[in-house]
Amino acid sequence: MMRSQAMREMDHAAAGGMVALQSCAYCGMAQYPPRSLCHACLSADLAWSRALSIEGVVLAATVLHHSHEPDFRSALPLRVGMVHLDCGPQAVCFVQVAEPGTRVRVTATLDAQGRAVLTAQPFSMPKETMG
Amino acid sequence: MNSDIVLVCPVTEPYVRRSEHDAAWFMGRVLSRLIAASGVGKADIDGLCLSSFTLAPDGPAPFLQYAGMSVRMLDWIPTGGACGIMAARRAIRAVAAGDAEIVACLAGDTANAGSFRDLLEGFSVFSRDAVYPYGAGGPNASFALITDHYMRKYGAVREDFGHLAVAQRRNAQGNPNALLRSPMTMEDYLGARPVASPIHLLDCVMPCAGGDGFLVMTRARADALGLASVRLLASIERHNAFSDDPMQERGGWLLDRDALWSKAGVGPQDMDAVQTYDDYPVISMLQFEGLGFCGQGEAASFLRGRDLTATGDLPHNTGGGQLSCGQAGAAGGYLGLVEAMRQLTGVATSQVARARHVLVSGFGMINYDRGLCTAAAVLAE
Repeated sequence: MMRSQAMREMDHAAAGGMVALQSCAYCGMAQYPPRSLCHACLSADLAWSRALSIEGVVLAATVLHHSHEPDFRSALPLRVGMVHLDCGPQAVCFVQVAEPGTRVRVTATLDAQGRAVLTAQPFSMPKETMG
Repeated sequence: MNSDIVLVCPVTEPYVRRSEHDAAWFMGRVLSRLIAASGVGKADIDGLCLSSFTLAPDGPAPFLQYAGMSVRMLDWIPTGGACGIMAARRAIRAVAAGDAEIVACLAGDTANAGSFRDLLEGFSVFSRDAVYPYGAGGPNASFALITDHYMRKYGAVREDFGHLAVAQRRNAQGNPNALLRSPMTMEDYLGARPVASPIHLLDCVMPCAGGDGFLVMTRARADALGLASVRLLASIERHNAFSDDPMQERGGWLLDRDALWSKAGVGPQDMDAVQTYDDYPVISMLQFEGLGFCGQGEAASFLRGRDLTATGDLPHNTGGGQLSCGQAGAAGGYLGLVEAMRQLTGVATSQVARARHVLVSGFGMINYDRGLCTAAAVLAE
């Protein structure tokens, strides 16, 4: 499995149930996907913060009925969305809501291949999906 | 400026759904067709602009040895849907500067059972890290999010996208190079199975193998060879524009379109045909908006009442576009350009009655959440 060195920091955090978020120690800009330089000021002095969850708003969503990977096919349909994180950048996440504008809490877990994946849940689940 | 430099000999190595040939073979076949169509010798081609997604591990220099060529100008343009226009721009400047006399611009790719999956998985670092693990939906998933946002914000409905797709299929019916030529109705379009909502099967381009190319040389040389030529009146490119937009809903064309039309000396209303990059239909809409045919978010209503077939009032993707021809990798970035050249030289399979000016537009490289590369060119007879 190919993974960038920056992304491995998120994998390590997710193994402990935490979301790791990269930001620039020089200018403070948060960025996602993580990378080896700050995209704003090009500083190499990057910092990581960890949290149980981070917050954001759903921008758009799709239901996948097709996957290019056999491993995903048994899980179809899969709901995927774009979440605008409060700290600035956008993140592709598995989402439990389709409605843009919904505020979500984003957590990280490891998938079967050991990759950190983000899942966005609404703060209050709609009634029809409760218990 | 550069009006004495022209584009000649649009060629296509026919698209096929799958091939056992490698990418170099398709690129070499395009080169062979360029030589046959122009009458120049291989040794007369002293500049080369290449694009391919499946040539790896080779790049442009290995291709020279593969094809037994020696050139004094070599360019590698890995920008997907923007690569054809970018190649034309670079080739024209190279000839103008004396860096080369005849530049071959070409793109080719192969397609087989594993190639498309491999391409998607390894497409980019960001994609591999932060998109592919979310269901491996590939470009369908990324464009689904862009389309979902566009439909919600601007009120476009599936019929609006179907309007483009159905007209393009009609345009493809006489095109032997189109992989999808059977008639398609709006009912067919709307009834297609969902792939990644709101994207359905007939919004998606079919990955395939194939290649396209053209030559760039002086008009004097083209005339001496007896070749029908096309002029590039003006062109633009812009990369990673509007990076602060949370969701992509406009492209870099917007920043440069005034310069494009001003230099071309014509406007959107003067275009006899428009060739947009139609992967996926929503992206065609962004091009109509970005290039000034209508305002932001207005493409659906702008196009609704128009006939987009080759005999209509706004001929669009007159060879069928990628939606009907297929997407032969990087050659998708050439498809609109070679079709525009065919229209302007009167050899298109769905010929527009009086094609004097054609707009070509390109869009490429979904690196993470949006297409990064945009380009456009106004071509004239």
